[in-house]
Amino acid sequence: CEGSVGLYFPQNQYKETVYVGQSAGTPVLQVHAMVESDSQRPHFYLCYLRPPTYAPWFHLDETTGILSMNKTLEWSDFDSAYKFWKLPLSVIAATRPLKKFLCGLSHPTVQVSLTFINDTAPPCGQTRPELKKLCFPDKDLSSHIKENRFPGALRQLRQLTRLNVCPNYTISYSVESDVPAPFAVNDNTTELVVTAPLDREERETYSPMLICTVQTDTMIDKFFVTLHINIYDEDDNAPYVSGTDTEDVVLEFDRKQGSSFGNLVVYDRDTTPRYPKSQSQNRFVGNMMTNDSWINEMFTIEYSFKEEKAIFGNVRGTVHEFRLALKKDLSVTEYRTLQLDYLVNDTTYPHPEGTVMLHYNITILPVPIHFTNVTYLFTLTRRANVYSQVGRICVDNSLKFQGINVTYRLAVAEKTENVSDDVQSCNAAISIAQSLKDMVGVLYVNDTEALRRPECQDLQYVVIAQEQQNLLQASTQILIVLDNDINKQGLEDQRFLSCAKGRQRGDCENIRGLGATTGRCQWRQGSAKGISESYSTCSPDLRTCPDGFCDAVESKDASICPQDCTIEPVIGGHEKGIMSGIRAGHGTCYCYSEKCFCEKDDVEEAMCDEVCKTIIATAV
Amino acid sequence: EQRMKPVEGRGCLLKEVHLNVTDLGLGYRTKEELIFRYCSGPCSDAETNYDKILNNLTHSKKLVKDTPSRTCCRPITFDDDLSFLDDNNEDYHILRKHSARKCGCV
Repeated sequence: CEGSVGLYFPQNQYKETVYVGQSAGTPVLQVHAMVESDSQRPHFYLCYLRPPTYAPWFHLDETTGILSMNKTLEWSDFDSAYKFWKLPLSVIAATRPLKKFLCGLSHPTVQVSLTFINDTAPPCGQTRPELKKLCFPDKDLSSHIKENRFPGALRQLRQLTRLNVCPNYTISYSVESDVPAPFAVNDNTTELVVTAPLDREERETYSPMLICTVQTDTMIDKFFVTLHINIYDEDDNAPYVSGTDTEDVVLEFDRKQGSSFGNLVVYDRDTTPRYPKSQSQNRFVGNMMTNDSWINEMFTIEYSFKEEKAIFGNVRGTVHEFRLALKKDLSVTEYRTLQLDYLVNDTTYPHPEGTVMLHYNITILPVPIHFTNVTYLFTLTRRANVYSQVGRICVDNSLKFQGINVTYRLAVAEKTENVSDDVQSCNAAISIAQSLKDMVGVLYVNDTEALRRPECQDLQYVVIAQEQQNLLQASTQILIVLDNDINKQGLEDQRFLSCAKGRQRGDCENIRGLGATTGRCQWRQGSAKGISESYSTCSPDLRTCPDGFCDAVESKDASICPQDCTIEPVIGGHEKGIMSGIRAGHGTCYCYSEKCFCEKDDVEEAMCDEVCKTIIATAV
Repeated sequence: EQRMKPVEGRGCLLKEVHLNVTDLGLGYRTKEELIFRYCSGPCSDAETNYDKILNNLTHSKKLVKDTPSRTCCRPITFDDDLSFLDDNNEDYHILRKHSARKCGCV
């Protein structure tokens, strides 16, 4: 198969029609193969794995590539079971004469598709469409040429089956192009010839105009058609960087596995095919130039490529992107600088300078786990109900943390032995929950009985934050100042309802709802028409509910904020939240337990009531 | 418990009306339409002694301030879900249990 290197067919397939009465010796079509060098000559063979019955009807000339009839086609040759009959043939090309020619992968192959029509060939015509058919095939006017290859004949322009149909006509061809293009017609053979090697990076497609002149003693007529010639790419450009081959990367708060940093770009004027996957043309291979096992364990380079046109002078080229990525969570105590070199290799580029070295200057800063040096102060009314959110606590920069896990817990501030059990039990009033979307602790009311006892004065706690990978701890004091408004009646009733069942402002503001920060529920009056995110509803605290997110405290009990947390189907016009709850609703949304309804206030009478009233009325 | 299954009153029938989705009053903005099927008609022939007693007690004002529900023509199964595209061409909505398939006196 080394004998066929460089040979290729400039057409994907050949098509022609054959008719009854087409006589032995007449040509059908001509195949061409492009060569690598002037000394190469292609040899053509029909190839079969198992010869079909019609195989002996055709003969392919080994040197010219002209396919001709071996016998005159008879009516009886046509299989009358079909309206027309497709006769597929395969042609291989080789640079040396072959003795055995089995079809296989070792030689370039092209399909020749002949359509056998159950009729005699149409006679010579005079109308323009008939004349045009003498000049050009109906379709199939595209070819391709590989760049940087030896010039040569590309295709036969004459319709060989029509050669002898109109013996008095002289048919000649010429080619024109509006851009400089190395195409010409060989008048002796009526072949289209490419006269010079082409460069895809200069121009990817050519559309020369083919002119066919039909001449008789009495008239002359010209026909025009546009050819489409694609230039195929090969890896003939080395990769290069534009500007910098060095990127400074600082790793601080984002230390998460999979996060990526910095973007170094390598350009290559060649195209990079995505399919087939196995194709290696212009695919880059990269290597981290380090033996340091820690660096190899921690970092990797993410590689992707995309096609661009504008930056390469309106010809397709490839932009290869290399990003530094973390293979695992980076410890908060890690503190170092390092340089990582990455060698990029364009493996299919045939010359030595097909590599680029990239450099990442990496600075890893440690992340201290500590609270800014103040005592947190929160105020809370004693009327607040269980699951009321008191405030949020977080270590410095925790909102920027990625891949750093911090948990929070409460401890009692001063453990004094002589404090009575009653006062000790005041501490049960507050708990802390871990926020679900960031590294924040949420303080909430846990025990209203403790909160309302007069002997429970201002509450003092220590919050301990613990980082999970290294178990680093930090602590801060918090002080929760309670007002003096002890509602005696409130103390008696410990049953809390869900705010969400309030359907009107009046009802709502009288409910002592679960999670209500002020002791009473709050009403939100929506104003928008249709289905809106600001629907009317009753909430324990409008800052947290409904905000479209079922937070750490809300998720402790489905009755706190079913508008954010319900996972049951919602009745009425609404849009679902992403994970749970109602994203938008029509009119007022209210919920009984976890079942929520959204409706306009004026629709209140249910269908059954109307019907039943009518029945009662008729019964009376 | 076996006798709890709905009785098919002769007057309680499945009817249908051709509507725009906006007519449903659910707040959706769309040009889609649907066939809405509903249950309608009297259920008097499906009444039992229970209903007769309730009727008598209501009239003799023995049930103070209370009017218990009577036999009622209601869907006993629902149509398939209805999906439609919002006018903004972004959101799909799915209506479930929105239209009757079969009626009964319950």
